[in-house]
Amino acid sequence: MEGLVAVAIGVLVAAGVYLALRPRLFSVLLGITLLSYAVNLFLLAAGGLVVDAAPLTDRPGPYPDPLPQALVLTAIVISFGMTALVIVLTLRAMSERGHDRVDDGPDGGPA
Amino acid sequence: MLALLPAALQRARVPPSAAAGAVAAAAAALLAWQAPAVADGQLLLFSVPWVPHIGLDFAFRLDGLSLLFAALIVGIGLLVILYAHYYLSDEDRNGRFFAYLLLFMGAMLGVVTADNLLLLLVFWELTSLSSFLLIGFWRGSAEARQGARLALLVTGAGGLALLAGVVLIGDIVGSYSLGEVLAAGDAIRGDDRYPLLLALVLLGAFTKSAQFPFHFWLPHAMAAPTPVSAYLHSATMVKAGIFLLMRLWPALAGSEEWFWVVGGTGLVTMIFAAYVALFQHDLKGLLAYSTVSQLGLITLLLGLGTPLAEIAAVFHVINHAAFKASLFMAAGIVDHETGTRDMRRLSGLARHMPYTATLAIVAASAMAGVPLLNGFISKEMFFAETFALPAPWSWVMPLAATLGGLFSVAYSARFVHDVFFGGQARDLPRTPHEPPRFMRVPVEILVVICLLVGLGPGLIVEPALRLAASALLQGPLPAFSLALWHGLNLPVLMSVVALAGGIALYLARRYLWSLHAETARALSGKRITESTVTALSAASTWLHGLIDRGGLRLSLVALLLVALAAGVAGFLPGPPVPTKVPLPAGLAGWAGFAALACAAAATVVLHRERLLAVVCVGVIGLVVSLAFVRLSAPDLALTQLLVEVITVLLLLLAMYFLPQRSPRESSGGRRAVDAFIAFLAGAGAAVLAWAMMLAPGETLSGFYLGQAKPGGGGYNVVNVILVDFRALDTLGEITVLGIAAFAVVAILDRIELPGRPLDWDGRPWPAGRSLLLEVLSRPLLPLALLVSTYLLLRGHNLPGGGFIAGLVTGTAVLVQYLGHGNAWVEARLPPRYTSVAALGIALAAVTGLASLAFGAPFLTSTFGYLDWPVVGRFEVASAMVFDLGVYLAVVGVVLSVLATIGRQHNAPEAG
Amino acid sequence: MNGLLLAPILLPLAGGIVAMLGGRRGLAAERLVGAAATILLLPVAVALFAVADEGPIVSHAVGDWPAPYGIILVLDRLAAWMLLVTAIVATAAVLVAIGRSDGAGRHFHSLFQFQLLGVNGAFLTGDLFNLFVFFEVLLIASYALLSHGSRPERTQAAIRVAVLNLLGSTLFLVAIGCLYAAAGTLNLADLAARAATLPADRLGLWQAGGWLLIVVFALKAAVLPLGFWLPGAYGVTDGAVAALFSVLTKVGVVAIVRCCTLVFPGLDAGPVLWAAAIGTLTLGATGMLAARRLSTLAAHAVVLSVGLLLVSIAHFTRDSLAAATFYLAHGTFATAALFLVAMRVSAVRGGMGDALAEGPALRGRLALPAAFLLAAVAVAGLPPLGGFLAKLAILDAATGARGAAWTFAAVLAASLVSIVALARAGTTVFWKVGRGDDQAAEDPPSSPLAVAGTGLLLAVVVALALLAGPAFGRADLVAGQLLDREGYIRAVLGGRPGGGG
Repeated sequence: MEGLVAVAIGVLVAAGVYLALRPRLFSVLLGITLLSYAVNLFLLAAGGLVVDAAPLTDRPGPYPDPLPQALVLTAIVISFGMTALVIVLTLRAMSERGHDRVDDGPDGGPA
Repeated sequence: MLALLPAALQRARVPPSAAAGAVAAAAAALLAWQAPAVADGQLLLFSVPWVPHIGLDFAFRLDGLSLLFAALIVGIGLLVILYAHYYLSDEDRNGRFFAYLLLFMGAMLGVVTADNLLLLLVFWELTSLSSFLLIGFWRGSAEARQGARLALLVTGAGGLALLAGVVLIGDIVGSYSLGEVLAAGDAIRGDDRYPLLLALVLLGAFTKSAQFPFHFWLPHAMAAPTPVSAYLHSATMVKAGIFLLMRLWPALAGSEEWFWVVGGTGLVTMIFAAYVALFQHDLKGLLAYSTVSQLGLITLLLGLGTPLAEIAAVFHVINHAAFKASLFMAAGIVDHETGTRDMRRLSGLARHMPYTATLAIVAASAMAGVPLLNGFISKEMFFAETFALPAPWSWVMPLAATLGGLFSVAYSARFVHDVFFGGQARDLPRTPHEPPRFMRVPVEILVVICLLVGLGPGLIVEPALRLAASALLQGPLPAFSLALWHGLNLPVLMSVVALAGGIALYLARRYLWSLHAETARALSGKRITESTVTALSAASTWLHGLIDRGGLRLSLVALLLVALAAGVAGFLPGPPVPTKVPLPAGLAGWAGFAALACAAAATVVLHRERLLAVVCVGVIGLVVSLAFVRLSAPDLALTQLLVEVITVLLLLLAMYFLPQRSPRESSGGRRAVDAFIAFLAGAGAAVLAWAMMLAPGETLSGFYLGQAKPGGGGYNVVNVILVDFRALDTLGEITVLGIAAFAVVAILDRIELPGRPLDWDGRPWPAGRSLLLEVLSRPLLPLALLVSTYLLLRGHNLPGGGFIAGLVTGTAVLVQYLGHGNAWVEARLPPRYTSVAALGIALAAVTGLASLAFGAPFLTSTFGYLDWPVVGRFEVASAMVFDLGVYLAVVGVVLSVLATIGRQHNAPEAG
Repeated sequence: MNGLLLAPILLPLAGGIVAMLGGRRGLAAERLVGAAATILLLPVAVALFAVADEGPIVSHAVGDWPAPYGIILVLDRLAAWMLLVTAIVATAAVLVAIGRSDGAGRHFHSLFQFQLLGVNGAFLTGDLFNLFVFFEVLLIASYALLSHGSRPERTQAAIRVAVLNLLGSTLFLVAIGCLYAAAGTLNLADLAARAATLPADRLGLWQAGGWLLIVVFALKAAVLPLGFWLPGAYGVTDGAVAALFSVLTKVGVVAIVRCCTLVFPGLDAGPVLWAAAIGTLTLGATGMLAARRLSTLAAHAVVLSVGLLLVSIAHFTRDSLAAATFYLAHGTFATAALFLVAMRVSAVRGGMGDALAEGPALRGRLALPAAFLLAAVAVAGLPPLGGFLAKLAILDAATGARGAAWTFAAVLAASLVSIVALARAGTTVFWKVGRGDDQAAEDPPSSPLAVAGTGLLLAVVVALALLAGPAFGRADLVAGQLLDREGYIRAVLGGRPGGGG
């Protein structure tokens, strides 16, 4: 199982990074989303994997490590906020420049 | 105690020149008051610590050397202020000029009286800065601006070199106090870094004093108003380098390196500059080069290293200041009265301004070394000293000296003859006549000094000279006499040769003109410097242009590569070693993995088909959710799922305004590179993850698992961590959400997003709404609210909690939007979502504050039990209020973000 | 347990929320709240400075859970120092913003407060994941502030910075994962304590996590080769915002210092940091030379100042850290002041903006050129201001260390280039005036608040130079405390050995 999770993380990271390097913001967004999935799995894995249990102490053990789960929850929510912001910024860029390219292309660059 | 002159901001209504004069006079008075004590041989010190940590003290000393230079600075300063009052036109004669001038004077005084090397540095740079301001005073002229910048560049560079040298000296001596430095001469000279240190200090001195090859800034500084040239570039600032050499003489001089470098530079400068001076057309240019040459002479003397040579050097400093300042002022008078400084146009002015002409002739004669004037005596001393060297230099030096003297006679002759004699001048901008009385006075005073010193040096100047020289040498003085006539000896012979040869050269100058013109063009220091700066500037622009064009991708790639390097660096000692037996995967595991991998591949391949890509991402999210379930993280699974839904909704909402498909824009090569980097990143992440999972250790989890119920009041440990153990993280998290919401509102404020009349495939959008959705959504809301409440309340003990509940409520309201449209929903539910979010955060924070009120730290929770009639024993915890705050925040944020974007859909279609 | 520790966090939080709610009543209400919250930070920061000055490290266990299980806020000398610097810069920035630009977009003051929340929290926290959260607060507020004022180039810059930092945040989480897996805790002091007793099989993870952390902080601090984003962002945003952003890079630098002195001394990151610093210096200096606008020049000056900071920090000796601490204060004030001056220049020159080209005459007024001169002297590190003193201290501390010759050469060359660039900018803008026919029609009225803000910052720069003695003394104490790992660990963990389950 650990191997699978590790490879899954690797696959997601590879896909995410590839998309994040694309020249269109939408693809970058997709890539960022994939990366955040990957890192959530990664953080969960930091506590070691426990299968078919739950972090509820009124049941008998074994228990998974609860701390990474809390961290991941926080991370999920925070990246949601960030993603929303970037999406909105993309919309703004769209209305201002008429395209959603990441960089301004050969004609005109940043000052 | 010497009080230092600060630069007074001359904003007063009082005529600024008068105010400046008063300040200078006060300084002079102070000096005079202290002088007797110093003359008695006392060393006056004043010290206040400024930054003890680096050894910088606000420390001043007044000894013979500094007294002499200070007198020069203040005395000539007073004369210059008087002169400037008449020279400058009314509009120039404002506070700015005199403020800069006083700033300079103060800084220069600081240089000569500083008792701490670092303090000296501070004032050194201040003189560069004030000189920059003064040279560029007539800011409208391009030459003034360029001259100012050139001066700043060269002297600034020298100053930085000096900084390095001083730091090294400090490191060797262990202190920056001048007294200790001067006493540590042997230690300094014996250190390995002496040559480097010497080079650095000399760089500083030579740039400031315009020695070859750093001389080129001085002629371009002549774009400054003449009072500035008279003050800074003849009498004071350029002498700063010389002063430094004199001041540090006990510490640095006496070595082979000193002799060769200092002496050599001085020699070359003296001859080179004197030669070039002859061919200048600009009055001030001639004087500038002659200054450079005279400074070279003094430098050469300092380089010779014998005590008598040092005395000669000090003497010449005094004399040079006297005649050069007066010559500059005379040149300024000529310029002021005739409107031009070009010697090709000037001629025969003696007829129109006889007094000025006389003064100028006397001063020029002093410069040339004519007997009975001060220049003659110091030249004689100079000539005498050139014999005091071992062979084979015993004849080269005197020859070179004579040559230098010859040139100086030639250019002095040029100055006098071309300007004041010859035929009537034609074509002058103004009619020449004598200047105002008081404008001549400073010149008169200086010329009289030249005469007096020339006639009776022993009386006038010898005491001061002895005082200064002994301070310089920090030891006993050799015997010498300043008599007018030492008998018919070699120096006198050399003077005669120089006089005769110089005049001959001047008469024959015609033939040398073309030779000079060729060489001058090639060797313009200014051109070299400016082209270097331009080249550097161009290179910088190119480099940064590259970086700009790289855009985001460059930064991303850089970050990824560095991160990869970091990861690898971590494992350099040895690769990761698993210590745990991996768990079995099972069928479900493999199935999940297969689905994920396929979806990920699909996303990558299909990413330009945006709708499909979003679907694939959704699939991946689902698989991850399921993985969370399998890996014992129920709360995570729920949250992931709900966030997934909302994110997809967001993406779809946004897609309405974006192009449906991304065009294929990147080249195959770029895609290959990106794929490679992505592969590396993925591999790295996988290896890291594998290493992490198979090397388990002891963590904090035991505490949380153990304390969740007793300390936190809940069985759901993850939730207890979120709202109790690490509540501050959660507070921060909902703040991030809140900021996102506020920011979304701010960013979407007042923008115009064009809608799409036709959809992806060119069909018009379906009119109206889906009836099914409309009907189903109605009962959904109350049901969802019920579920939310249940999830919120049970979160402490079972999977649930504020986030999940909030997301459920938010999604339900969103469905209302989708089913009924914006108008219907907002008529019933006023869209103050951002306020709801804000209130949520506030509520969470207030719960934390409440605990403060009870004397416990922030965000401490308590809990108790309530007995409800039907439900039974029910646990109430303050963390629940916190969770409620989280709930409100999440609802507010989700709705504000989506509603704001949703509102954009309305605007263009309204028409 | 000291409740005052919370004030730098709670005050901006309350300020942000109230400003948001009060904003419905109009800009005036929002301004009042924003200004009040920022200005109130000043006495708080001073009080905390006094507390930290007494010596022992003070901590506050949020939620009443002991370290390392709960989140601990820690006030040591460095935190107090940075809080004071932040409060001063924030006050100046908010005054200028009120005077000029806060109406250009919505929710400015609220976002401003949240930005301060993130910064202050990052300085005070003693927990690694909490640092991540505060970093995110800081970052998201900065994206919003960056795009304040609705100009296409600002939106573009905000997107770039956001995407880049999303990747950075991902890396931060990866680092946290590695470190948690290696050491089993998130508390900084506990991490430091456990560093010594790590078994060999987890050492690789530990080190990888450490290096990754440094990379993430270096991204924030704009260290080469991760600093390409800064000039494009800081150079186009609103001047008051850019002034506040001067503090943001320092958050990254402080995080690196804290990380390397406390938790990862074993990583020996010094040489790598030093090399990166030299590169950063060069990049900043050349950038200043290549800049075509005054704000871009100021942005590159920030990069240069980061390079100078790191070059000194990288030696990790008491003297070099003290010099860096002093320069932390001076450099931040100087670059912030330059941004504010550039803002005013841009306003006065109308259409020309702050482009470094021949422009209309700036009639008669002395204040603006004088302000520029003062700011330029401060940034270039010329005497008699603090930058020169800091340079002296940095070079002095570098004389014994390795690579001293390179350090000297790079620092001095960068100084010279920055002097040339600033002189050129100054003469072009103020001296090389146009032919009168393109004069700015009417100088926009100068808001007294904006003048007060800029003036405040310049006055602080001068004061810092005058009071350099005591300031350096404090900086030395900061450095001493930083190098005392055991002291920090003891203060936070309360004498408990190595944590444990």
